[in-house]
Amino acid sequence: MRRYAYLLYIQLKASTLLAMQYRGDFVVDLLIELVWAATAVVPLFVVFAGRSSIAGWTYPEALVVTGWFTLLQGLLEGAINPSLVNVVEQVRKGTLDFVLLKPADAQFLVSTTRFQPSKAINAITATLIFVYAFRRIGHGPTAGGLAASLLLMVTASILLYGLWILTVSAVFYVVRVDNLTFLFTAIFDAARWPSSVFRGVAKIVFTFVIPLALMTTYPAEAMLGRLHPSSLALSLGGALFFAVFSRAVWVRAIGKYTSASS
Amino acid sequence: MIKVSELRKEYKVHERSPGLLAAAKSVFHREYKSVLAVGGVSFEIAAGERVGFLGPNGAGKTTTLKMLAGLLHPTRGEARVDGHEPRRREDAFLKKIMLILGQKQQLFWDLPPSETFEYNRAIYDVPRKQYDETMSELTTLLDLGELVKKPTRQLSLGERMKCELAAALVHRPKVLFLDEPTIGLDVSMQAIIRAFIKQYNERWGATLLLTSHYMDDVAALCPRVIVIDKGKLTYDGKLDALSARIRPAKRVVFRFSRAVDRADVEPIGKIVSFDLAQAVLDVPRDALNEAVERALRTLPVTDLTVENPPLEEIMSELFARGEAVP
Repeated sequence: MRRYAYLLYIQLKASTLLAMQYRGDFVVDLLIELVWAATAVVPLFVVFAGRSSIAGWTYPEALVVTGWFTLLQGLLEGAINPSLVNVVEQVRKGTLDFVLLKPADAQFLVSTTRFQPSKAINAITATLIFVYAFRRIGHGPTAGGLAASLLLMVTASILLYGLWILTVSAVFYVVRVDNLTFLFTAIFDAARWPSSVFRGVAKIVFTFVIPLALMTTYPAEAMLGRLHPSSLALSLGGALFFAVFSRAVWVRAIGKYTSASS
Repeated sequence: MIKVSELRKEYKVHERSPGLLAAAKSVFHREYKSVLAVGGVSFEIAAGERVGFLGPNGAGKTTTLKMLAGLLHPTRGEARVDGHEPRRREDAFLKKIMLILGQKQQLFWDLPPSETFEYNRAIYDVPRKQYDETMSELTTLLDLGELVKKPTRQLSLGERMKCELAAALVHRPKVLFLDEPTIGLDVSMQAIIRAFIKQYNERWGATLLLTSHYMDDVAALCPRVIVIDKGKLTYDGKLDALSARIRPAKRVVFRFSRAVDRADVEPIGKIVSFDLAQAVLDVPRDALNEAVERALRTLPVTDLTVENPPLEEIMSELFARGEAVP
């Protein structure tokens, strides 16, 4: 366990060194992140112009969802995406050989090869959005609500990571999954909206297949103090299921690895 | 140390005719064909041995190495490396071996090699003291110096290969599988890498199995060779014995003080090349004394050298025959 923590530290350090190696790039990256974060709020402005609530969500309440979306997007693009996009490349080129030669868990190793530290700015943006939203609402979240939302953030991270592992596992069967990874990012974008906005098939898909509702809407509801306990249970169960299922699929998939010839 | 019996690997590949129509068809219906990469190979390697693993492209060398390193699962047969079954990929096994691939690299591309060394140290759980010792030895032997502090992408191919070797040896593996470790390097860098590999073997008693298309590598490093062709073992034994069997002739080069007649040279041996002042002849090993004596007696010889035919020629003849050497 200590060894893994140390390996994670080395890789985080390496990514940070890399990010700061070119000072100019680093500053530009940070500025771009700020602009992106600002644009996260723009769709809400447009939709809420001229009406006070949508699908039971007022403007500041919907902002809380956006806050969670921003936070998770930062996690996805900063800590999950860079490494796992890399796996696709490693499988195609056959350099995954080196990972499999190491006496350590392969899933851990491929999941920690690269980080994008500049995405940490999303955490700051999300906090600003939360503060602004709750000032408009007029009162802060309860301690219980906050605790529940933090717990849900953990389950959301597990869900997101599990989904990614499932997507990446496909690479062992079809090799080129770049498009699949783009599709994943595109679908994730829908998580910026409260889940009650979606109806019919979309609602079912986004709850059970790609559980976007569990990722952003539930934590927001928890923060707003209106999360049903059954949703909390659903989230915990869902995260556990995805963790176990994705691990099983990964182990099976890695057995299919045939390595690229010399 | 290494024991391989009836090792076999088949790949399933899907086959289709060229053209768009065939490509479209193959989306719905695929025909699979089984390709034999390694077809029942057996050999044993003792601890500390240096063995060359030879064969033409596609002979199954890399596939065998990858099976021994646990990257590929054999279709049939058994492999044991220091008592471990490679396919299980146990930590204890992985800590004893290393596979070095000349055509692929594990160093972090944008960071100095020292970062990769430290990362490997942590993965292999090498105690700090042992790590420092190993690194200072490797730094001396490979003359790494300041290289390890430059970003990998700024290193030349040869410098990178040196650092690749160092990164691969951080945990002092007892068994080394080397797949074309000198590919693409210039002659002097090849010699450096070769000398280093030999030193590593002698210093740590490591077992070596090496593939290379450069016969100089094999001649310099491996007293014993295993030859496979189309997945079958065709020779396993001493390198010298192989040369003697494939080419029972020695190669003799004569230099003359003045132009001589081709007809005068012909009786001495089989002419490989001839240009008036110099002749290169193949002479049967048992007739060598007699041939040299005759040449000295009948021709104006100023200089002569006797050598084995180049290993490249021996190998291409062996591969062309495509059959087992008794």
